[in-house]
Order: sequence, then structure tokens, then C-alpha cells
Amino acid sequence: MKNLDAKRAKYMRMRMGVLASAMGLALGAVVSSAYRVQVEDGPVWRETAEKQRQRRMHVESKRGSILDRNGTVVAVSVEVPSVSVDVVEMLRGVDGEPKQTATLRDAAARIAQILSLDANQTFDKLVTRRRFIWLKRRITGDEAAAVRDLHDQKKQVQPIRGLKIEGEGHRYYPGRELLGPVVGFVAPDGAGKDGLELSFDEELRGRTEDVKGIRDSAGKLVLSEGSATAPSLAGHDVTLTVDEGIQHVAEREISAAMGTYETRGASIVVMDPTTGEILALASSPGYNPNDYGESDVEARRDRVITDRFEPGSVMKVFTVASALAAGTLNPTESIYCEHGNFRLDNVTIHDTHLNDWLTPTQILAKSSNIGALKIALKMGEPGLYAGFRRFGFGEPSGLPLPGEASGVLRPRGRPWFDVETANASFGQGISVTTMQLATAMSAIANGGKLLEPQLVKRVTDEHGAVVREGAAHVRREAVPQHVAKLLSEMLTAVTEDGGTGVEAAVPGFHVAGKTATAQKVDPATGRYAADKYTASFVGFLPAERPRLVVAVVLDEPMIGHYGGDLAGPVFRRVAEASLRYLGVVPQGGAKLSDVTRAGDPADATLAAMKPQLQGPAPVMLAPVADGVAVPDAAGLAARDAVRSLVSAGLVPEIEGTGKVVRQVPMPQSVVAKGSTVRIVLEPSS
Amino acid sequence: MQLLPPNVRKHIEFVAPLDAAPDAKRAAAAMDPVMWAVVVGLIGFGVVMVFSASTVEATMQHHDPQFYLKRQVAYAITALVVLFGLSRVDYHRLYKFTYPVLFGTGVLLLACVAGFGHSGGGATRWLAVGPVHIQPAEIAKLALVLWLAYSLAKKADRVRTFAVGFLPHLLVAGLFMLLCMKQPDFGSAIVLLLLTFTLLFVAGARVGYILGFLIPAAAFAAAAIRFKQYRYERYLAWLDMEAHKQDLAYQPFQSVMSFGSGGTWGVGLGRGLQTLYLPEAHTDFVSAIVGEELGFVGIALLACAYLLLVLRGIRAALRAPDDYGTYIAFGIATLFGVQALVNFCVALSLLPTKGLTLPFVSFGGSSLLVNAAAAGILLSISRQGDPVKADETPEPAPVASARAEAAP
Repeated sequence: MKNLDAKRAKYMRMRMGVLASAMGLALGAVVSSAYRVQVEDGPVWRETAEKQRQRRMHVESKRGSILDRNGTVVAVSVEVPSVSVDVVEMLRGVDGEPKQTATLRDAAARIAQILSLDANQTFDKLVTRRRFIWLKRRITGDEAAAVRDLHDQKKQVQPIRGLKIEGEGHRYYPGRELLGPVVGFVAPDGAGKDGLELSFDEELRGRTEDVKGIRDSAGKLVLSEGSATAPSLAGHDVTLTVDEGIQHVAEREISAAMGTYETRGASIVVMDPTTGEILALASSPGYNPNDYGESDVEARRDRVITDRFEPGSVMKVFTVASALAAGTLNPTESIYCEHGNFRLDNVTIHDTHLNDWLTPTQILAKSSNIGALKIALKMGEPGLYAGFRRFGFGEPSGLPLPGEASGVLRPRGRPWFDVETANASFGQGISVTTMQLATAMSAIANGGKLLEPQLVKRVTDEHGAVVREGAAHVRREAVPQHVAKLLSEMLTAVTEDGGTGVEAAVPGFHVAGKTATAQKVDPATGRYAADKYTASFVGFLPAERPRLVVAVVLDEPMIGHYGGDLAGPVFRRVAEASLRYLGVVPQGGAKLSDVTRAGDPADATLAAMKPQLQGPAPVMLAPVADGVAVPDAAGLAARDAVRSLVSAGLVPEIEGTGKVVRQVPMPQSVVAKGSTVRIVLEPSS
Repeated sequence: MQLLPPNVRKHIEFVAPLDAAPDAKRAAAAMDPVMWAVVVGLIGFGVVMVFSASTVEATMQHHDPQFYLKRQVAYAITALVVLFGLSRVDYHRLYKFTYPVLFGTGVLLLACVAGFGHSGGGATRWLAVGPVHIQPAEIAKLALVLWLAYSLAKKADRVRTFAVGFLPHLLVAGLFMLLCMKQPDFGSAIVLLLLTFTLLFVAGARVGYILGFLIPAAAFAAAAIRFKQYRYERYLAWLDMEAHKQDLAYQPFQSVMSFGSGGTWGVGLGRGLQTLYLPEAHTDFVSAIVGEELGFVGIALLACAYLLLVLRGIRAALRAPDDYGTYIAFGIATLFGVQALVNFCVALSLLPTKGLTLPFVSFGGSSLLVNAAAAGILLSISRQGDPVKADETPEPAPVASARAEAAP
């Protein structure tokens, strides 16, 4: 500025000063604005930013699987792809409203075509210009591939940007009805709602606090708080003690029995008495958790643990056991059974078979009420009550399933009067569950130890490392070992000639067990109904070295009602097939070939299942020897439908009135002879 | 000037607007230590912030968290070489390059618009020369400053005339601006406009001409916004950010959120999470990440650094031995100041979004190298400063403070 005259230099300095001041002022405005945003409004913004990072929790951990003891999948989560779009990304590089609209229209048309959506609706979604929009959830593999092609720069002249495919978990039960009421189901929001899915929800889901993390603009989990990485979010796998093969037989048999005897319901437990492991646990009617929405709430109940009922004569086993343990009964003494009629206070008690003198063994074999009550009265009320309690009645069995009933021993909350003690001794006036019966019978089978029943063998994390493992746990000694041994011998008489349970005898094995036929109380009158029974059989085999305890309970059979006649054959078929499946060789003399009954559906099922169980292939309904094709009943009236089903050797189960609109199993599927076919009728409009 | 023989002096007067010839002794004098410290500090700070702001995008787009860091380090080293290299060149030697640089830049801008450009982010702002992408608009800013300084110094008193002093500058600047707008790069066009008017104003152009032009220009700009649908929508979205935070105002909204979540002291270097949401976090919106990670204190300090840089630039302008030096120095100081200001304003959503970098800090080779070159020239001018005489005319406040520092 040397060359300038002083006046011009002064002007120039002034002008520079003006400009510099203006810049300084603007900078001051920037800093004051920063102060307002950062210091004054800072906390509000920070909260907004945090909310933004926590939003859209639809990224979930993969739910763990439920497996049977051999690793066959019972419930599994499969990733079903869903497609979303970021419209801002889609429009990046497209300027000008008309161009953008054209781009959106074009994209909407192409997307709609691939995903079979409505182009206009898709366009309406896109014009909201959100950064995250679900286009279609649960798309097929082909659709996913087509969507990928849409944004592949190599395959498209004009790739559509911003499309994203993410997996969403979908629960799948490959066994369909198999174990339905036991596993339960999962709601669409990922929460387990019933059965094991509910009680193991937390473990199956994965640790929820790990799911919290930081999400990017597309809602994708980018960083998780803490050390956990995305794979370790996966839920644990739950391996059951249940054996799918035995479960299959058990379910088939009780649903067949339900059809044959027209029962209201049925339940069965197969248990390993040495460990308490449950090998099968079935409740009928069941349901298919894959479409749980279409099932009856009633059918979802797991009757094995939720239904309590008056057990009837099975309790004589525990009455005799308790008396032997208490020393009030001598195993060799004879008891006078009053020739079938005994008056206690103002009540007369009858026996079905009229007997005079019976040994404890005979009392059990012939199921004498009078004999049992005399044993109980001699022992006294406290002794019987304590004896039952020691066998686990009146307390929950401890299965990890929701809704377990504990049964009631003293319904009025006070010690029994003599009449009540007498009733309790043969299983009246008290209530138990199928699970409790199986557990108590296991205690007789294993030498007196009351075991905690186990349903879960182990819980493993996604790497296969064991998180938790089930182990045999003895709750208490129910009776001394020699008493249990004695009982085992006595109970074999039940299934021998002259006993009530001959139908339960398995050729080649000694079977110990007890039948029960209990009248049900009619809830309307509060008195025992003449035509409502609970028929059951609880037993174990081989009696010398028990491998299996099986408890079968049939609720309100319409055709016949004796436990021995109804539940006995179910027991036999399940026990026989299970032993064969487990490879237990008969020792009782009869040859294996005699044991096999031609056309026994249980055998056929297992024979067909064996090779499948060895491979990893999912178990499907096995082809059945002596099977029949289900006739098509669609459109028929009830009478014609029943006729066509019965002539094919099937048992119809009718629901509704009018014409047949639906049937399960589907027409032409092959099922065992004697299977139930459910037909749903609706009035034709 | 008096020291030169008359024949040489005449020659110089004829070819160049210089009244101080290249002088080896002067050019070797010490440069402004405060200025180079600030510039080097900003470049280093930029490398750190670019790394912090780009990790997420680098990982997601390039599967290498240090993708942008490596490049920025390379640019920074080159920038330092350019900075100290140019600071050793006497700025008087630059006038010879004025026209080649101006034409060269014009050609590059034209090439960019004519379809040789490389698109990105909805605009064609880059030219690919082999593996290097250059941004002609960045070069245009410095080229225009150099040319204006040369032209204004040459025309000296004739600056006050319309035909010679005002119109030609406006035409050249207008052409550059049009080419920038065409890309479209509204931000750079605005910077060019501001540079032109500040230099014309300082050189002594009539305020009447400037206002007479500024008012129609403002009207034209308003119309350009109002009648170009997407710009108008952006403007409306900027006005009502809350309603458009998911679409058009997404970026400014996220940017303000970044500032806000930093609070007073910030969440700490490298701990910012808004990089997950804020597009262009490492380039145009790096100041938002500074705000988040270093808080209000960091932003205030950064603003002070730019203020200091501008003040030292004006000091160099005041002490320059001739008009040419004064204009260049003031133009470069304005260039730094205006870019930083506009960048801060956009990031704080005080202005609608423009594509302007934060000088020295934002990621980007063109911007960093051009700004470093500008700073090098500024340093070169600072070497030649004379102590300002105490008996000179009184000055406005900011200049006075600069002078006070220079006084001893």
C-alpha cells in the first residue's frame, strides 16, 4: 500500500475494516447459535439422538431350536426374508420433482410386479419418502432373488437403489401336531406364548440386554453395547428328554383310542424310571402350532399336567405301599373283604368282584375297594395322607411347563374323616395329574425313590456349549427299597390271568401295573355321574428291571369304561413298540415273533420310522402298513360322510352341522386303519 | 521503487501492476509464525476429525475403516509441501501465471459442465484425470482471487470507472459463477460472488455500482430459488425442519442433532455416534461431528482459529508492499473466512444446504490443496510486510487489533 496516497489508503483500510467487522459479526452469530444449540438445547438434542439410535428394534436375535433327545428338530426358527426400502437413497442423484416422481413411479411398477403387489399402493408408500418402509414381509426365495436383481448394477440398466433384504425370524414346527401342547407356540412379535416356548422363552430368545445396541439410519445393528457380537445374540437350544419315535407312537395310540372309545380327551406319559426322564408326553386332542390361530384353546392345553382328576383304583398301589412301609400291613396276611359289601358309618362301599379273604396281592389284582380301605383305616388317616404326599401327590411335579396343577389331597383343608380316608384309599375324593401318577409309579419301579421328572435334557448355546444340563434328582425316598420290590411283584399279578389288567400284558415281559376306572363327578349335580368315567392304566416293565413307566389316562370314554379294557391295550401297544424301539429283548419266554401282531399300527409306525430317525431328515408322517387312503368327504352330508369313512375303516369325528367343508387329514393321505378323521361341517348357504 | 533504475521501473510499470519488484532479501524474511501455526494446526486437526467422522462410512462402503484417513494423510502431506513450497516463492512472480491459471480453470469448469465431469451426490463437480479427481470449482476460487488482485492493482485508480473498473470483473466472475451453477454448485457460486464484491469494494469501486448490481442479483437469486422446484422445496424444508426431518431436511436435522448432542464439552473424540446417521459427515458436515465430539468449546475454539487466520491475513494485507499483495492477501483471507462461515452456517442450519467444505479440515484433496496453496501465497506475502507506521490514519477496530500485534 506504499504507492497509494494517504487518502486512498485510509479509505481502503476503512473498507477492509468494514468487511472484517462484518465477518467477525457473522462468526459471532455462528458461535452464539452454536451456544444455543449445544449448551442451551443440548440435553434435548442428546435425548432425541439417543431415541433415534434405539428405534426400530425389529432386528432380533435368532430364537433357539427345540430338539428331541436324538437331536431331531421339534421347533426351529427359520429366517424368512423381508424387503424394505430407503427412499432417500433411492432418489439420491435424481434432482427435480418431475424426475423424482417418474423414478418413483417406475420403481413402484417394477417392485410391484416382482412382489405381486399393487403398483399404485406401492407408489403411495414410496412418495412418503421415508428412509425406512417395509415393502413386503416374508417373501419367497424367488422373490428375494428377483429383488436382488433389481438393484444389481450389472444386471439392470437402471438399478433401483435403496432396496434392502433382511431376515425375519419365523417359527416352524416340522413335526406339526407332534408335541404340540408341550412345545406351545410363538406369537408374531417373537414372544413364546405357551408350553416350552413360554417357559424357556428367555433362554430361547437370547439375552435381551445384548440386543440393545446402536443402529444406523437403516435400523441395522451396527455396534452392540458391551462385548457381545451379533452371533452371540442367538438364543440357546433346548434339547428335550423326549424321544420323537416314542412320542410318535404315544400320540398315534392315544388319538386312536380317542377315536375308538370316543373319549373327551386323553393323556399319556412314558418315563424312564431310573432317571425320571420323560420319553413321551402326549395330550389329545392336540393341535398344530404352525397354525395355532386355527386351533381350539381347549386343544392347546397339555392335559398331562393341567388336568386333575379322581384317579380311582391306581391309588390302591400307594395305599398298600404306604401301609407296608409303615409296618401296619403284613404282605402275607389275608384281609376279609366282606363279600363285596361294607358299611362304614352311613355309607355302603361295594366291590365289583365279590370276595371274602384276599391277600394284599389279590386286593391289587382284583382291585378290591374294601380291602384297600381296611388297610388304610388300619394305618390311619395321617399315615395314608403322609404316604400319598411322599409319593408326590398334592405337589407340583416340577416340570418346566406353564399351568401345572398340583392336585388336591385334602379338598376341605382338614384331615379326612374315616369315610374320606376310605375313599382316598381307592382314589376317590382326591385329585391327581397324569404326570403325578407316572412319577409315583416310577418310585415303585426304581426301588422307592421319588424322582423329579425331567423334560429338558440340556440347554446349549449356539456354539453347542452346554449352559445347563438336566440330571436325575431324587426328591425323597417314598418307600424303602424292599417295599418297592415287593410291590413290583404284587403288581405283576394285575396283568396275569385273573387280574384286571390282562389287556395290558406285553408278551415276553412281566408287566407290573394297575388299572383304574374312576367315576367322574358331574359338575352340574356335584354327585358321581353314572356314565362318566376316567379309565386309566399305569404300569411299568420289565417288572424285574424296569425300563419304562407308562401312564395312560382316558377321559370320559363313551364306548366302554373299564380301565383295564380301554387303557390296557393302549399301554400294551405303546410299551411294546417303545421297548422294541429301545432294543429291549424279552426275557419272559415268549418269542419276539409272537409279540409282533400283524398290522399293529404302533409297530408299523416304528418300523417305518427307524431308518428315518437315524438320518437328519425331518420326520414326516410315516407310510403305514395296513394303511388306508382317506376318502374325500367334501360336500357330503354328515351321514354319507360317516358312512364313507367308516367303510374305509376310519373313525369319523364330527364338528358342526350341514355339509363337509374341511377334513383332517386331507383326502388321499394314507393313514393307519382306525385313525380318526376330523370332518368340519357348515350349513350350506 | 525508488531504488530501481528508471528503465527497469518503466518496464515493470508497463507489464505488471507492481510497484515493488521481486526482492530476494524481502522474500527471505521470516513469515508470520502465528499464521503458519494456525494453518498447520487446522490441517492436522482435519486429519483427526476426518478419521473420526469417516470410520463408519469407510467400513460400510469400502470395508476399510482407514480408507479416508489414508487418503487424507496423503493429501495433508502434499498440502504441507505445497504450503511451504509456495511460501518460499515471492508472490510477485505469480502475476505471470494469472491468465494461464484463469483460462485453465475456465476450461476445466467448462469441461466439467460439458459432460466430461464425474458425478457424485447429484452434481457433476469432479473431473477425472487418471486416478485423481479434481474439483475445478475449488481451483476457480483461488484463480479468481489472483486474477482480481492482478487486474484491480493494474487498473489502480480506474477501478472507480464502470466500463474499465467494474464491468470486466463482473463478467469474468459471472461466467465462472454460471459454470458453477450449471454443475450445480450453488455454494461455490456464492463464494465467488462474495469474493468479487469484497475485492471490488476494497479496491475502491463505487458503492453505488456494487449496490446497484447486488440488489438485482439478489432478486435473481430469489427467483432462481423460487422457480426451481427442488430448490424451493429444499428452502421450505429448511424453514420447517421439524416437518421434513425424515426427507428433505434429513441432513440438516441430523447435523443440528449432532451439534446438540455434543453439549458443552462434547462426547469425546472418536465417540460420536451421529456419523451413523449424518451423510457427508467427513466432508461438508465435518463441523457437525466436531460439535458432537468436542462440544461447544471445540466449536468456539475452531471459530477462533478461523478468526485468527482471517485477522492475520488482513494484517498481511495491510503490511504488503504493494496493492497486488494487499488484494491477494485480503482476497485469500476472505476466501478462508467466507468458506468457514458458510460451512458453519449450513451445518447449524442457519443457511440451507450448500456443498461447501470447511477449509483445511474437511475431507477432499482439491479443497485441501487449493486452500494450502492459498495459505502458502498468504505466508509468502506475510514475509514482505513492513512494520505499519504508528503515525498513520486511525483504523476500525479489528484492523487495529491486528496492528497492535504487529506493532513491536
